[in-house]
Amino acid sequence: MIDLRSELPLGGDSATAYIPWLVAIMVFLGTLAVSGVNTFDSILQGWSRSMTGTLTVQIPSAASETSLSETTAQIERVVRALNATQIVDSVTVLSKSELNNLLAPWLGDDIGDSDIPLPTLIDVTLTDEAPQTVEKLRTAIAEVVPNAVVDDHRRWFGHLIELTEGFRLLALCVACVVAIALALTVVYATRASLAEFKDIIAVFHFIGAQDMYVATQFAKRTFLAAFKGSIGGFASGTVTLLLIRWLAQNVESGFLPDVSLGLSFWLTLPFIGILAALLAMVTAYITVLGTLRTMM
Amino acid sequence: MTLSRKEKPDEEAPAVQLDSVALRYEQGPFILKDLNLVLPADSIRFLTGPSGAGKTSLLSLLYLAQRPSLGAVKLFGTDVTAANRGRLPAIRRKLGVIFQDFRLLDHLSTFDNVALPLRIAGIAETEIKENVTELLSWVGLEDLMETRPAVLSGGQKQRVAIARAVVNRPQLILADEPTGNVDDEIGMRLMQLFIELNRLGACIIIATHNEHLVSRFDFPRLSLADGCLEEQA
Repeated sequence: MIDLRSELPLGGDSATAYIPWLVAIMVFLGTLAVSGVNTFDSILQGWSRSMTGTLTVQIPSAASETSLSETTAQIERVVRALNATQIVDSVTVLSKSELNNLLAPWLGDDIGDSDIPLPTLIDVTLTDEAPQTVEKLRTAIAEVVPNAVVDDHRRWFGHLIELTEGFRLLALCVACVVAIALALTVVYATRASLAEFKDIIAVFHFIGAQDMYVATQFAKRTFLAAFKGSIGGFASGTVTLLLIRWLAQNVESGFLPDVSLGLSFWLTLPFIGILAALLAMVTAYITVLGTLRTMM
Repeated sequence: MTLSRKEKPDEEAPAVQLDSVALRYEQGPFILKDLNLVLPADSIRFLTGPSGAGKTSLLSLLYLAQRPSLGAVKLFGTDVTAANRGRLPAIRRKLGVIFQDFRLLDHLSTFDNVALPLRIAGIAETEIKENVTELLSWVGLEDLMETRPAVLSGGQKQRVAIARAVVNRPQLILADEPTGNVDDEIGMRLMQLFIELNRLGACIIIATHNEHLVSRFDFPRLSLADGCLEEQA
């Protein structure tokens, strides 16, 4: 059992009195930053799952009534070519109404009545998603309908990954900055406490305390103060995340990607507070050792 | 109270040895000048002199609060003037210091103040409880174990300070006016404690300007005047 009793007065100095508040703010920000990292990971995984093993074939719109039959023939040729490859699991030609529903958020509900030429879209699910397989399909389709476009989403998805990775990196940077700010705050507070308790520290030394003993007293005291703050930061961070989750649920589905922070994330959350308290403790310990080295 | 010798001191080396020691603060005048002294491990001395003679400064050199400006201070054969920081705690654990202003920790109870040297030395809590309770009973503070120093009288604080200084069975006890705030009866009991500790091998230096106390005990005297030390039988 770890003895957290400190021979130093708890909360007896002005500098340490702020540590719980500062740690609470840091843990709150850290919680949001880490949840940001998790959210971007979750979005990326969700997109990756939905895109993997699929591609879309676009057949350009027919310019006139006569070529409408030609389009129908092109669709049939493409579907036949796809099914002949043995690497296709399913082929779905999107109906006009399905196409209208996809475009409705951007072009309005009356898109079906307009004269805008819309391509025919064919959703293809593959049994094998290797790049050479996709190339084989592209060649097979080009042979039967040269102007058909095969989109395996890689280019679009690549940009999206870059963007999401950027956000993820940004969230990690925020978490690191929060940790550094916490450590610097503890260094300042510990130095102020050392000055305030110099008479008590002198007594410790006169009765034979080693620097490590004094440092341990400060470390325990800082840990207790920081842990108190981290509970507050954890509670407010969790409430904020639940609030954001509730607000996101009210947004029309389909507009935002489906993001769910899994059970493992919620179980990890308390460790942010514990890590913050440990970081504060270790920082205080090192600061005291460094400062005492200059005394007799 | 039964006392046992906790650690046998080095019989060969004197407890205190001063070689041409001088002290001044920054660029000020010398407060202590060319002090030379050898005290064997089992000696007991009064340190006397008028106010401002340098008694407290000499004690501060001995309890390693500062280093001398000139010369060498040796405790138990170790030159503490040249010793690095890492060696000082082990030497300080052989010392028991009774400060004139007590230097008790106001946020700790009487019990915890006395227990502090034992906790720092890593003694088990059961042993600490036993020793501290016995010692506090001996100095007549058994009913004030949970009391904070702020509400104790000057005499009670002095007894706590003495208990804290001797609880670890030190080999060198440095007492700065240890009976200054207690009545004659308690003063005599405390002196008996010092004598008992001395009989067990501890070197004792009692700084005082209480001539009445000095005259009641037949101990050699170290007399400080104008920064110079004179040993009188």
